[in-house]
Amino acid sequence: MASVIASRPRPRPAHTQGVTRCVYTPDGSKLVTVGSNNTIRLYKTGFDGEPDNIDDCQEQNIAVSTSNDFFVAGCEDGTVSLYTYGNNLFDRFLLRATLPVRDVALSPDHKWCAVASDELSVKLVSIEDSTNLRKLDEHRKPTKHLAFDPKGTLLALSCTDGVVYIYSLTAESPELITKVDGIIGRMETDSETSCQVAWHPDGRAFAVPTPTRAIQVVSKNDWEKQRAFKNGHDGDITALAWSPNGALLASAGKDKKILIWSTRDQSVVARYEYPNVVDIAWHPTKNLASFTTSDGEVFISPEFVPEQFLNLLRLPKQPAPFIHDPLVSKPPNGHKALATRPRRDSLASLEDLLDEGYGDDDDFVVDDDGAGYTLNAGRKRPAEDDPLFGSAHPSKRGNFLQPQQHESFQPGSTPWRGNRKYLCLNLIGFVWTVDQDSHHTVTVEFYDNELHRTFHFTDTFLYDKACLNDKGTLFASPPREAEGSPAVVFYRPHETWTQRNDWRIQLPKGEEVIAMSLSESFVTITTTAGYVRIYTLFGIPYRVYRPKNTPIVTCASWRDYVLTMGNGPVGPDGMCKLLYTIQNIKRDEICQNEDTVALPEGETLKSVFFSDNGDPCIYDSTGTLLTLLHWRQPSRASWVPLLDTKLLDRLAGGKKKESYFPIAVADDKFHCIILKGGDQYPYFPRPLLHEFEFEIPLTSVRPEGKPKKSKKKKSSDEMAIDGEDPFGRANESGGEEEEEEGESAEKSELKNLEQAYLLKGLRAAQMADFVDATSRSSAQRAALARLELDIDKTLLQLLAIECREGEERGMRALEAVSLLRDRSGRMIEAAGKIAERYGRTILGEKIRDLGERKIAGDDGADEDVFDD
Amino acid sequence: MAHPLPPGLTPAEVAFLAEMEMVTIVPRQRIESIDLLGGKTPTLRPPHRAQVPLWLALLLKKQNRANIVPPPWLHPASLQSIIQREKVEDPVAFSPPPPPPSRIKIGGTAERINDASDGVSPPFLPSCTADAPSGFLPYHWQEVAEALLAHAGDDMPASAGEVRGLLRDLAEIRAAKLRSSSSAFEGFGDAGVSLTGVGAMELADNRAFLLGVIDGVRTLGAGAEATRREQEEEERAERGDEFNDSDEEMGI
Repeated sequence: MASVIASRPRPRPAHTQGVTRCVYTPDGSKLVTVGSNNTIRLYKTGFDGEPDNIDDCQEQNIAVSTSNDFFVAGCEDGTVSLYTYGNNLFDRFLLRATLPVRDVALSPDHKWCAVASDELSVKLVSIEDSTNLRKLDEHRKPTKHLAFDPKGTLLALSCTDGVVYIYSLTAESPELITKVDGIIGRMETDSETSCQVAWHPDGRAFAVPTPTRAIQVVSKNDWEKQRAFKNGHDGDITALAWSPNGALLASAGKDKKILIWSTRDQSVVARYEYPNVVDIAWHPTKNLASFTTSDGEVFISPEFVPEQFLNLLRLPKQPAPFIHDPLVSKPPNGHKALATRPRRDSLASLEDLLDEGYGDDDDFVVDDDGAGYTLNAGRKRPAEDDPLFGSAHPSKRGNFLQPQQHESFQPGSTPWRGNRKYLCLNLIGFVWTVDQDSHHTVTVEFYDNELHRTFHFTDTFLYDKACLNDKGTLFASPPREAEGSPAVVFYRPHETWTQRNDWRIQLPKGEEVIAMSLSESFVTITTTAGYVRIYTLFGIPYRVYRPKNTPIVTCASWRDYVLTMGNGPVGPDGMCKLLYTIQNIKRDEICQNEDTVALPEGETLKSVFFSDNGDPCIYDSTGTLLTLLHWRQPSRASWVPLLDTKLLDRLAGGKKKESYFPIAVADDKFHCIILKGGDQYPYFPRPLLHEFEFEIPLTSVRPEGKPKKSKKKKSSDEMAIDGEDPFGRANESGGEEEEEEGESAEKSELKNLEQAYLLKGLRAAQMADFVDATSRSSAQRAALARLELDIDKTLLQLLAIECREGEERGMRALEAVSLLRDRSGRMIEAAGKIAERYGRTILGEKIRDLGERKIAGDDGADEDVFDD
Repeated sequence: MAHPLPPGLTPAEVAFLAEMEMVTIVPRQRIESIDLLGGKTPTLRPPHRAQVPLWLALLLKKQNRANIVPPPWLHPASLQSIIQREKVEDPVAFSPPPPPPSRIKIGGTAERINDASDGVSPPFLPSCTADAPSGFLPYHWQEVAEALLAHAGDDMPASAGEVRGLLRDLAEIRAAKLRSSSSAFEGFGDAGVSLTGVGAMELADNRAFLLGVIDGVRTLGAGAEATRREQEEEERAERGDEFNDSDEEMGI
């Protein structure tokens, strides 16, 4: 609980009445205070005597920022002055604004100074050359506070319109990357109430005061609300500051209180009574803090953190208070020690989250014999801006061959973002949950509103995985160690003719669900204990077995077939091979045993699911959709690409950057959600589903139109348009049709036919397998026959084009004929007629020969053709 | 007694015809195929997209059984680019109509597109579906946009107000072009105006005006013609002996 310190620090009358600010130099040697009189005071740390004064300065200084060598002060008369420490003298004016300056901030590398004034634009001045000026002017209102993030790549502006604007400084000209609305309130630039952004030292989040007298933490990258420091202040907040390690947060309010909060549980650890505090500064290393009041007083408070909480201040850098910290909530993949290893750069998001310098097992190599093989030996932790640290770090471990595992995932789910998460996204509907601190609220929505009704419920088990299909919804919750409750699996059918038939089972203690799937007849659950547990739809345990390849990565199921994936032996790229097994549970047959998932080197699996026709499909991190062919016969399976999203027409302009979140394969189309702006996962509001037709990657060079057309195409490509399907194709081939005899039209037609031939052949192969494996209904057989006829038709169209193209294409034409599947001879007859129509008599003769041989049942016909 | 209505179609009739346009919807419930005089409607299976006529889409939307996917050209970015093209890049001509769809498309939608585009001319293209190219105004752009904004405002890619504003800009730019095109008729009959890319509603709106202009020009032209004839006849009377020759010249 809160404690009160016996010895109060005494107020030091540093300045006259008015806004007074203070800041410690990064090395902690000095405290700089500025105020309304024309004196700047420099207090030496650990020296209780009179401070050094700088009298050659403006009056009404209201902002200050410092480096080890110099500091800048902003003044109400609109000037920003630079002072040096060596001789404690005014050096020069950095900038003159026409209106009062409200805040100044030095970038972490001390090369730039950001200045907020009552003018609309925020200026970024180079310290070395004050003529080098950059302007941030995409916001519409004056800025009250500024804050650089600890890496110096982002600048957060708290504007008077109640919006936090985040600018990226990585490019040559600053770019507005996002607006965080609805957190801070509108206020005047000269109001005492603060809306200051305070970046957490780990750089993954910032804290900001809200009008409700709370302090809200907002995460970087997704800009979602995370935890909040609530119920502390009874007045508006006027100042806040993180302790240097981020474990504590100090805040001051108009209720005449200074509170120290613990970051981890957002509770108040200390409470002090000081009126009118307007600025707080923590000493970088010591248990020391200073704060200033609007009466011009400076308080230097040693033992700022009470004795019993001192250990918090001594901790290494602490993580920002996330609701679901992406670093902590790792998928339960068994080997935690290995799982902490950062993944390859394919996963940029994780890399981003794992800031260099943050909690990254800094005692991996212990320099216990003093041989000096650790970098920065002697220093507990390298400095923030040490460039060596980031680059040298990975090589330190390059000597160890550590197998990299595929991380487990639940197909169709997203990680937590803020307090929300999609548990399941598929073509039936979607399941999402909202974390309400003590419980979750789960909502299940359906696309077909008539068939099923949307429902939601309060979830006290904290489910974090779900599966949804036509028949019911399956949920799983992780075990909670604190309460000793085991993992729970819950199944809720959509329709029932008994009173109540949902069921809930508890897994053995300590066992956690890795991934699960729901089919029309079975519930499959893979667990951290290395078991695959299969239940019937109504909770009768049907089978439990341990797969041969663990740790398990994921699973999927369709009717009686269950596909499980696990990490196999280590491949040449240091990454475990991903192995899959497909079993028919009911018949107890293994279709594919420990076969490899075909992934390119270093790539990972994004999703696995069964298509509506019951064929396994995978989507990998290269953006390719693959399907498994002939998977019902052991060791005949092969992975066939259906679509490479990198080659989509809509990306042809090279202007768009987007990725795709796979949802399903149905109706011979790929259903996905388009993600823009570097997003990895869909978020709320739920984006529309998009459909892409399959396109086996044959060529990336689209047949070009005439130059005249290409201009038109470019203009339409430039437009970033939501909710639209690939239009490039329609555009392009449309353009070609106008130029009737254009060669490119022929080419694209040929390409389309070839594509169609391949796709239909694939489809026919899958259908033939399906018909063989199931009860061979006549309708399915008829459909298969129709499809084969379709393939032949495609070949005939191909033949027609070849004939039209000219005599010299005869060989290719004859080859097309030899590919015909029809055994009755009618198709070959038709082919002969086509050849005659175009006057290719020699070709016609050869086709007739071929037809006769085929009818005679000569199987070697294919090879003979080429001898002619 | 003359017919009270102006020649051509009234705006209401044009809007009615526009309801034949195919649009893309995302159904919210399963609806089996319906056998209609104009052919079968596709089986609607949420969340699979389907192409249905506008009238059916509006009906389903009103009953909350479907969401309409706005055509790409209705997106603000697309409308902006068209406005730019109309205003800056080519201040005289109208922006071109959408190109015909490719002859062969792979996969499921092939038949439907081919069915619709048997006669490949603007009113019968599937130019209001989600597959339509962006940056091109289809024949029924005004009517379809108006219907979609009025009845499916929540499905639009941007706020209805924004899209309406852009559409109004576009309509005014094009109306001004259409009106100024009447100056081409000053040359008494031998001039023409290209109406490529002009929408159905714009034609219906301006038909009366343009016909009026042409009529007026013809009347004026008739007066001028009459004076010319009189002059020629006078000349002929003066040169009576060359009457036959000049008659032949006139014949040519």
